[in-house]
Amino acid sequence: MAFYKALDLEAAGKYREAVVLFRTALHTPAGVNALLGLERAFAELGWADSLVAPLDTLIAADSHEETYRTVQLRTLQTLGRDADLHRAFDKWVRDLPNSATPYREYARLLLQKNRAGAADSVLIQAKQALGTTKDLQFELAQARAAQGQWIESAQAWRQALLTADYLEQAAAYALAPTPSSSRQQVREIFLALPVEVPSRRALADLETTWGSPADGWNALKGLPVDSASSEAWSEFAKRAESEDRWTIAREALEASLHYKRTPEIAIRAATAAMNAGDAPASLRLAPMSDAHGDSTLIAHSYLPLHARALAALGRPAEAEKLVDTYDRFLSPGAHNSLTRTIAWGWVRTGDMNRARAALAATGAEGDSSDAAGWLALYEGNIKSARGLLRGGTESSPELALALGLIARLKADTAPAIGKAFLALARGDTAGAAAQFIQSGERTPTVRSLLLLTAAQLQAGLKNDTAAVALWSRIVTDEKDTPEAPQAELEWSRLLRRKNDTAGATQHLEHLILAYPLSALVPQARRELELVKSAIPPSSTLSF
Amino acid sequence: MSLSMTVLARARTIVAGIALVLVGATAAYGQRLLVPMDDAQQNHLKAYGLAYNAIKAGASAEWLLNYRGGAFLLADTPELRRQAGLSGITIEVLDNGKLGQIRSEIAANNMEAVPLEKAPKVAVYTPVDALPWDDAVTLALKYAGIEYTSIYDDEVERGDLTKYDWLHLHHEDFTGQLNKFYLSYRDAPWFIDLLQKNTSAAKRLGFANMPALKKDVAEKIREFVDRGGFLFAMCGATETLELAIAGKGVDIAQSFVDGTPMDPDADRKMDWKRTFAFHDAHLEQSPFVNSMSDIDGHQVNVPGRRQPLGTFTLFNFSAKFDPVPSMLVQNHRAVVNDFYGVTTSFTKTVLKPGVTVLANEEGAPWVKYLHGDYGKGTWTYYGGHDPEDPQHAIGNPPTDLSLFKNSPGYRLILNNVLFPAAKKKPLKT
Repeated sequence: MAFYKALDLEAAGKYREAVVLFRTALHTPAGVNALLGLERAFAELGWADSLVAPLDTLIAADSHEETYRTVQLRTLQTLGRDADLHRAFDKWVRDLPNSATPYREYARLLLQKNRAGAADSVLIQAKQALGTTKDLQFELAQARAAQGQWIESAQAWRQALLTADYLEQAAAYALAPTPSSSRQQVREIFLALPVEVPSRRALADLETTWGSPADGWNALKGLPVDSASSEAWSEFAKRAESEDRWTIAREALEASLHYKRTPEIAIRAATAAMNAGDAPASLRLAPMSDAHGDSTLIAHSYLPLHARALAALGRPAEAEKLVDTYDRFLSPGAHNSLTRTIAWGWVRTGDMNRARAALAATGAEGDSSDAAGWLALYEGNIKSARGLLRGGTESSPELALALGLIARLKADTAPAIGKAFLALARGDTAGAAAQFIQSGERTPTVRSLLLLTAAQLQAGLKNDTAAVALWSRIVTDEKDTPEAPQAELEWSRLLRRKNDTAGATQHLEHLILAYPLSALVPQARRELELVKSAIPPSSTLSF
Repeated sequence: MSLSMTVLARARTIVAGIALVLVGATAAYGQRLLVPMDDAQQNHLKAYGLAYNAIKAGASAEWLLNYRGGAFLLADTPELRRQAGLSGITIEVLDNGKLGQIRSEIAANNMEAVPLEKAPKVAVYTPVDALPWDDAVTLALKYAGIEYTSIYDDEVERGDLTKYDWLHLHHEDFTGQLNKFYLSYRDAPWFIDLLQKNTSAAKRLGFANMPALKKDVAEKIREFVDRGGFLFAMCGATETLELAIAGKGVDIAQSFVDGTPMDPDADRKMDWKRTFAFHDAHLEQSPFVNSMSDIDGHQVNVPGRRQPLGTFTLFNFSAKFDPVPSMLVQNHRAVVNDFYGVTTSFTKTVLKPGVTVLANEEGAPWVKYLHGDYGKGTWTYYGGHDPEDPQHAIGNPPTDLSLFKNSPGYRLILNNVLFPAAKKKPLKT
């Protein structure tokens, strides 16, 4: 058949020969496909104008075939014959007065040429002629977005998604530049009842693009529990996992588990919970009973997670017992890794002897682990801790504090500081605060940081008087250190929470004027404006 | 909780050494502070507050028109330095030599130094329970730290306008039709509340209905300007104030507010001799079209008529011969992005002869920013609702000006607040 031979010639790059056969096939049952082939071949040869005459013939023979008309518009646009293009569109509309297709195709071409205003006019014309634009919502949405009419665009996208749920990413992409002042209205449009999964997925994408995956999750979490929602939750979790948004990933996966419980989703949810610092939830989300006694599955998937959670919860003995139970299913590498986890658990409980014993059992690998770094720090061996913690894989606020501290410490040993961190690891926050203050007396180079840490611990315990005393001491006696503006800012925030706006103002003003070069000044200025109600309260910073 | 005296004493000492925004600072006071308003300025909007409060405190101040974006020259005092430091306002300390150079430059160019003498008493016509975030002017005043008093129908009716030098109107509908939002929002709680409050205010103040009350308020505003007041209006207040004044004895309101339809002959009966800016405009007769008249060029709320936003260009005036329009257009940008409002722009064909156009959109049949004299006072109209929220719609979150502290559109608002402070000089012509 001429058409298939033409396809072969086209595939072989023999466009001139293909043109001849595509032409022959135009009046066969494969005519529509032959026309598309002819369009491609002419484009390759740069002969687009050669398509105009055959198109006129084809349209005269069958004025209802939409492909002919679409190709005609495309060709005239390629040739830059705008007046002919418009005439062809008008004729199509006259021939098919009740069809949305002419408007759709013409509007799309105009949008491709960044002529959003012209596309909008075409869509308005469609509304007048057809009485509705329900079949043109996608084009309407794009035209509105291109003109910065974000609210109208969002409304059209919502309608478009009803019949074409695959457009959710297109909707999120088109609405991504929505200015912050219009975003709330866009949200409301996508959140409006009835609840529809595609529009919620589009909003979730949009919120994530706008920088708030938490709001993205808010768009999805109220969906009814069914397969479409479960897929949406799982997909959203995948993006959250890839961006280390563990709390959100865990919530999304947990929601997915409500629809269907599978070991894979359960393990992902438990891992996300663990990474978010919620060890109890990790144990709850992936109980070993899910594995139905499959020891291999337990050893490879559940055991590392449970050992890690138990270690974090200060229950290393239980972790040790679990590892012993499934030891024969573990490779030597996996065994060592779990032993290091257990050692870390002993460190968390402050049992240095058992931690050391566990690490010794893993040989050289154990000596270079994060756990070994913390162990060194707790023992006051700053030199070893410095090397081990810097090269570690862990990331936590405690590590940031420890690294900040040891970077400023000149000494190689500081047993008092080690004791303070040990108290913190054991959960003795008040004791740790006291230890940090005491160690500050012996290490003046980092006294301000130690006092600030103690103040933060006291503030966390709601022990405001003690916190204020420490901040005051830093502002007065350590005024030339980087911690002084930080103390002022934290102090002002406490006062603001207590509605002492005068006090908060005083501290913020002092910070700005006394430390004009501090990186905290922009934040202080903004908080000062909030205290003085100089800017709308919706902009309130979280703290 | 307060700081100890020791800490505060130290703070005061440190204040003298602020370095972040103080360019070329020296320790000694008693010279002059230049507040540049070109791109060197870190916070243009707060700079207006600094100048306003300096005048209010009795410090000497000058506005250097067309010099570095319309810079301010202020007395060098510890308090002004402190305020500049707190707000992140860029200031430069000038010695006599540098000041002399600046004065020479001003004398030789299209520039002028205008003394600022008295901080005007500012009133904003807005309902008492309105939040400052719903009006670009109150947003700007709040952010810049300029004091103002909110007044509304009760205060205007009892004659309180005489207490103020400067009055601002925003999106009030002086035709008494609540911007025809009845069409779209009649079931919205906020609209029902607004309708009830205004209707009861009309009755309380002895008027038959809301349009009658608003027309009377408009008349009192006209008299305020006639007596020498400074009027600044934005958004829908511009257009509807004119319609209310011209339509003093005519029923120009639709039946949903006063129970009777608009007088079909209203267009012909309008008395344009009494208005500030416009003449021969045509009223929108249909109650179902969300537009008041053909004064507004953009017709944002009428889908078939809505015009796209462009940019507007500020005119350049002779600072020495036309200091007032020069003050009103001081800016670090000559071209500003346009923004919608209930009334966005003003059709050229309805402008009265003698009206000063301060900014227009090139090639468009409308202008954006107008000024004129009326009796002993002056008026300025600025189309649009919020310069940093171009598509503003009901329910949008408020604009946070700390994110737009260099906004050229907002600068135009603040120019208006400050220009009444200028000392009147006899024209050199």
